[in-house]
Amino acid sequence: VQIELDEFSDGRWPWWIAGPALGLLVVGFFLVSNQPLGASGAYAETAKVLTGRKDAVSWRVWYLVGIPVGGFLGVTVVGDGFEARTGYEPLVEAWNSNWVVGAVVLVGATVMGYGARMAGGCTSGHGICGTAQRSPASLAATGTFMAVAIATTFLLGLAGVK
Amino acid sequence: MQSSLGYKIAGLLFGAGFGFVLAAAKLHEYEVIHAMLRLEEAYTFLLMAGAIGVSMPLLWLLDRAKVTTLLGGRIALSRSKVTKANLVGGALFGAGWAVSGTCPGPAVVMLSSGAGLAVLTVLGLFLGLTLRDRQVARAGGSATIGDGEQRTASTGS
Repeated sequence: VQIELDEFSDGRWPWWIAGPALGLLVVGFFLVSNQPLGASGAYAETAKVLTGRKDAVSWRVWYLVGIPVGGFLGVTVVGDGFEARTGYEPLVEAWNSNWVVGAVVLVGATVMGYGARMAGGCTSGHGICGTAQRSPASLAATGTFMAVAIATTFLLGLAGVK
Repeated sequence: MQSSLGYKIAGLLFGAGFGFVLAAAKLHEYEVIHAMLRLEEAYTFLLMAGAIGVSMPLLWLLDRAKVTTLLGGRIALSRSKVTKANLVGGALFGAGWAVSGTCPGPAVVMLSSGAGLAVLTVLGLFLGLTLRDRQVARAGGSATIGDGEQRTASTGS
């Protein structure tokens, strides 16, 4: 009950709306394009375009452009609106320096990107789209990154991150 | 390879829809992701279960019915076997996800919602992905394309 009250008081869509909505987008994109919607692959194709390679799958770039556009609309229509901030307030509070937090975030994101490319997908690719296809590889990758992320967060808690 | 206009429009629209829902659920907020990973809030787990709970049975049904998609021919699901790369890569991804408090989709929403340090998150993602691609290319192989990523064999992509 507490969780549901929180959801409505902080303006989030309840999980039973947002979750099925994501699920329907995945199914809808299969019906249109016969393709799954992993985000990390879209980064990889966009990186190819940015480095001048000719073999990029170009619709993926349009997909990656769509996400922040839709996100901005979502923040404006449903959320608290565009707000200039670091985005990492709990880390800044724990370590008291934007530079330290920036460096840690950059390293963390680099490891995340490397891992996603090695695993062949991320939370959207393996976690939702692959799992929805009942893919053994996606289920294994999802179970692994969930478990390691929970363990790493526990360790960060020991390092004073709230 | 150039995709057809239909694929590009569909990609843009579904990307926008995906980003909108991520923002509406505040999955671009560090606090929301960490409340899940600290096991303090069931919200994001339930949301993922809701997404899979809807899409898994529907894709199963559509596949059984041999539905023809609008642009991509007969619907096809990918169900690869587990490899070591899925597990090692997954573990690295999980550690990086916890530290950066966001994953590739929500990271660009974070950026467009005004989070300044998300510039470094997005930059790091590009760096890491490219690093892996270069490493694999030097070894003479090609990148692991998981079952949630694009299938280049499909028509029009």
